[in-house]
Amino acid sequence: MSVASLAGTGRFFRSELLLIFGRRRNWLGLAILAVVPVIIAVAAKVNAPGEDEGGFFGGITTNGLFVALAALSVELGFFLPLAISTIAGDAVAGEANQGTLRYLLTVPVHRTRLIAVKFAALVVFAATAVLTVVGTGMIAGLLLFGGGKMTLLSGTEIGFWGGLGRVAMVSGYAAVCLSALAAIGLFVSTLTEQPIGAGIAVLILYIVSQILDTIPQLSAIGPYLPTHYWFAFGDLLRDPVSFNSAGPGLLSAGIYTLIFTTAAWARFATKDVTS
Amino acid sequence: MGSMTKNKALRWAVPIGVVAVVSAVAGFSQLASAQPDLPKRSASQLLMDLEQARLDPLSGTIVQRADLGLPPMPGASSELSSMISGTHTLRIWYGGQDKVRLALLGTLGESDVIRNGKDLWIWSSQQNKATHYDVPADSKPSFTDPKELPKTPQEAADAILGALDPTTVVSTGGQVKVAGRPAYELILAPRDRASLVGSVRLAIDGDKHVPLRVQVFSKNAASPAFEVGFQQISFDKPGEEHFQFKPPAGVQNVPGKEDKEEEPGRRELEPKIVGTGWTSVLTAKVDVKKEAPGLLGSLGTQASGSWGTGRVISSKLFSVLITDDGRLFAGAVAPEKLYEVASK
Repeated sequence: MSVASLAGTGRFFRSELLLIFGRRRNWLGLAILAVVPVIIAVAAKVNAPGEDEGGFFGGITTNGLFVALAALSVELGFFLPLAISTIAGDAVAGEANQGTLRYLLTVPVHRTRLIAVKFAALVVFAATAVLTVVGTGMIAGLLLFGGGKMTLLSGTEIGFWGGLGRVAMVSGYAAVCLSALAAIGLFVSTLTEQPIGAGIAVLILYIVSQILDTIPQLSAIGPYLPTHYWFAFGDLLRDPVSFNSAGPGLLSAGIYTLIFTTAAWARFATKDVTS
Repeated sequence: MGSMTKNKALRWAVPIGVVAVVSAVAGFSQLASAQPDLPKRSASQLLMDLEQARLDPLSGTIVQRADLGLPPMPGASSELSSMISGTHTLRIWYGGQDKVRLALLGTLGESDVIRNGKDLWIWSSQQNKATHYDVPADSKPSFTDPKELPKTPQEAADAILGALDPTTVVSTGGQVKVAGRPAYELILAPRDRASLVGSVRLAIDGDKHVPLRVQVFSKNAASPAFEVGFQQISFDKPGEEHFQFKPPAGVQNVPGKEDKEEEPGRRELEPKIVGTGWTSVLTAKVDVKKEAPGLLGSLGTQASGSWGTGRVISSKLFSVLITDDGRLFAGAVAPEKLYEVASK
């Protein structure tokens, strides 16, 4: 790749980020993501969970970092996938719908590069969404409850910075899982010119995958579902860190990402762009 | 232009190729794990190997599956009582008789049993509770599981070998691979066809002679109703840090003595065994008011007969009957056999 085209890709990537982060509705979405941890922190302050309450919610009063984990475990169930589905569904279909895709392709942008940049921007958005949740959770939690030692799931206490490291690992894991959903969304987005339809389709895929995963009779297919390992981030909070489920989780997310980014690339290359 | 579109259509080969490669790798790894080649050993040699095997320090991951035909237990997946149904993963560190740590991994929780010398800790992250028991330093590790299901292959094998008597057909199966290690298979089958148990299969490590997996099949079933086995095992001595447990600040820290003293009436309810071998039935007197709202209340169904009325749990491997007048019958037999014993 020549220097000129590299610079072109960089410019294109920046404009893509501007497209996502410049929109007021996306800011509103991030703001909604940020509200949940604040609600959790305030609720725990007003009405402290009992001593026998375990899990992340029980840990909040002893360490503010748990607000971030509690918020992430709540939002990973719906709000985060909703945000990713909407943005990913919009990626290609949105431009086709507004008629800007045609212009984008007349400025000679290679279609392969277009898909690559679109996906890279989605990964940045996924990471930003997770950081929004975790970041506000940490700030709200530390302000209201302070930091200190963190009790891991195995009952071991680690220091504050160690705890911060674990939260960072959990955030990374969640971002990888959401990026896989973004890849599926990108592919769906190349199939249609209706951004809202694409977004809803991805969200439905996510929900169906979650439902199938809870049916005991279908437990054989469970490990192949895209969302099966999403909550395996608990593995990263054990002592020592376990990769029993988190390992397959990363592998599963990687495979889904590879399949659907290449499928989006194949589909987009053969797509007739008429609008 | 025609060839251009054709070339571009070829791009679909990439995602399809990824899917093909992934499924091929997954399929091959299953195929490749089926070919161990160990010198032949007879059933009695294997039994002796088992008896003489010294459990060296080890660590690993154990997967336990129960498909007893019972509904899943309410509650979190990391609670010990949830182990009677579904699939569970445990991590084990074994440093010797008096240094054991078992961790039951739930999705966002964990229960640990840690034995270190005379200290026994039970930790539950869901309940945010650490319970401490004192054990005499020389006693065998006892895991006070509410359901008393064997959790390590060694424990399970010991329990089964203890029950071995002339009622059992012992034979060898093929060679298998468990946790990537070649293993012998020993098959125990009850002679008495009235038992719900079809066979018990033990996979015995080809090198270390320790049990790597125990599977219990119910009659006429192709897949095990209960299975506990290593998924991954290492015979390196686990570090001392795994056996250190200090209850975290701010959790309930309960000395685990009181619940035994709490029920003085328990002593007179000594259980009895009726019959022998695989179809023996355990009978006991229970306090119906105390037991009924628990396990039976959630799993049992109403039943009645010449023996009276009560609740019965019927699973693929065992049945339990609790009559309303406080008698308990349990065994690896069909409920009809329990009714028979109850009406005597």
